[in-house]
Amino acid sequence: MGGAMTRRDWLAGSAAALVATGCARPVHLTQSETTIVRAPAYDQRLYDIVRRLVASQGVAVRGRTVVIKPNLVEFEPGSAINTHPLLVHAACEAFRALGASQVTIAEGPGNRRDTLDLAEAAGYFQIIPGFEDCFVDLNVDEVTLIDLPRRFSKLKRVYLPNTVLGAALVVSTPKMKTHHWTGATLSMKNLFGVVPGGVYGWPKNVLHWAGIHESVADLHSVFPRQFTLVDGIVGMEGNGPIQGVPKPMGVLVAGADPVAVDATCCRLMRIDPMRIGYLRLAAGDPAVFAESNVRQTGEPIAALAQPFALIPAFRGLRLESGA
Amino acid sequence: MPIPKLLQQQNPDGGWPYRRGGSWTEPTVYAVLALAGAGDSASVERGLQWIRAAQRDDGGWQARPGIGESCWVTSLAALLPAERLGVERHRRAIAWLSATTGMESTALYRIRRWMMGSQTPSEITAPGWPWVTGSAAWVSPTSLGILALDRENRLRPAHGLESRIDAGRQFLINRMCKGGGWNHGSTRAFGYETGAYPETTGMALAALRGYRGQQTDQSLAVALRFLDQCRTADALNWLRLGLAAQGRMPEGYTPPSGIAYRTVPEVATSILADGAVAGKSAFWI
Repeated sequence: MGGAMTRRDWLAGSAAALVATGCARPVHLTQSETTIVRAPAYDQRLYDIVRRLVASQGVAVRGRTVVIKPNLVEFEPGSAINTHPLLVHAACEAFRALGASQVTIAEGPGNRRDTLDLAEAAGYFQIIPGFEDCFVDLNVDEVTLIDLPRRFSKLKRVYLPNTVLGAALVVSTPKMKTHHWTGATLSMKNLFGVVPGGVYGWPKNVLHWAGIHESVADLHSVFPRQFTLVDGIVGMEGNGPIQGVPKPMGVLVAGADPVAVDATCCRLMRIDPMRIGYLRLAAGDPAVFAESNVRQTGEPIAALAQPFALIPAFRGLRLESGA
Repeated sequence: MPIPKLLQQQNPDGGWPYRRGGSWTEPTVYAVLALAGAGDSASVERGLQWIRAAQRDDGGWQARPGIGESCWVTSLAALLPAERLGVERHRRAIAWLSATTGMESTALYRIRRWMMGSQTPSEITAPGWPWVTGSAAWVSPTSLGILALDRENRLRPAHGLESRIDAGRQFLINRMCKGGGWNHGSTRAFGYETGAYPETTGMALAALRGYRGQQTDQSLAVALRFLDQCRTADALNWLRLGLAAQGRMPEGYTPPSGIAYRTVPEVATSILADGAVAGKSAFWI
């Protein structure tokens, strides 16, 4: 059916392929620095906290396009499942204040198909003015077939949404949660949401068959230079990412290197990052994200770390000492 | 105003987008089914031309042109009347569906599990349908696969159809959530029970039309509870279809106000659900 591709499809695909191969001038980011700040609640103070945090990272987005990728999973208002809309709105405002030419919010949930309804139930329509106009459902976006730069799973190529491929900066805004398959879900696992359900289904089971940790590492190789802002104000412990228990942490974690940010989040959760499969794969050498190799700014980990409850299958992930 | 809204969203190539942009198979088939039932002809014919042109050599359809692999949307295309789609095209679609299963029910998978020293649990061996080949079967594509084959079997009974439909229904029964209803198809994770979703509960009940048992009774109670609390178009549409298929749609039910119909499949399926509740369904005969 390749012959049925329209000229418009071809042009869209070509443009996105150019972007993916580096012609979109990706935003320069400093690597392996992670910042932890206190954020006590989802309230108006968050706007100032996020604005300062983003500005402090030296992210040059003036005149560039930014795509913010939250974690939208389930219809459970008031739960700790989804990234809080106030944080996403605060991030939008912060990047606009830095001069971004366009800020888009984009997500492709893995279980539920009615993405906009999910966003509405999570409070996004209420909190973010004009939400529907600045949101893209990545599950049904235009797509381009991308060769994986590094292959950890048996997948060689993957369709990805042009909205994300065309962004100068992808900002992953995950929720700090435990995960019943991977141990923890943070910025790197959040990338499952850019894989289009319209092509792969709900859930995106092809990734599971290819190996979850390996697929996370595959996707990280496509987007190694995303900016990450983790919602750890209220995280989730226990049987995450859906059925767990809210875990108030009062923190935001940010940085340009998703491996370093996720490793720092694990330490805050008292989970050993060295035992998270996708972190080991993506880093190559676990020493890369050893605590001594991540430049830590803001609050110290030790002052804010709290053990997240783990399901029995993952008790071996517990960080016993300051690894 | 669902029909004018659908007509307005048809792309120049004859297909439909989910909301905006290029044409995809799922919204195009739903729009054609809905408009055909409403008596439109010109838009339907353009839509059918798009669908016919999109069929792959193996008899299946891809999610959208250019993806290069047949997948679950073949079930939707197979719901189109053979005389409208083309008899030979329809026959090949049914053949593709009949030959497609989730990976977990293949001999290759079971042999591999056996060689690794683990048994394949019997409850996952009933063959359902996957979203895409090379992965496991799930509730939504299995429900649509059953609806397509059951419709065909009632019109043109053929060897193997009935047993495949029965096996698909067994898959659904095996994947029912504790207490009734269905989610996407994963009822337990690491020993924890998972809950049902309204839209997949409605889909599975539609596919289990004519099947009665404790499981359907439990799930009908769940579906009626979901209907009372319904918040989304997808959920409302499929609950109405599932309950109508089971003859259990509450008399005089009025859909709640404030439900947003944002996508072409949501608008089209609402028209199809109206038809099913009134006794005329595109999903079954």
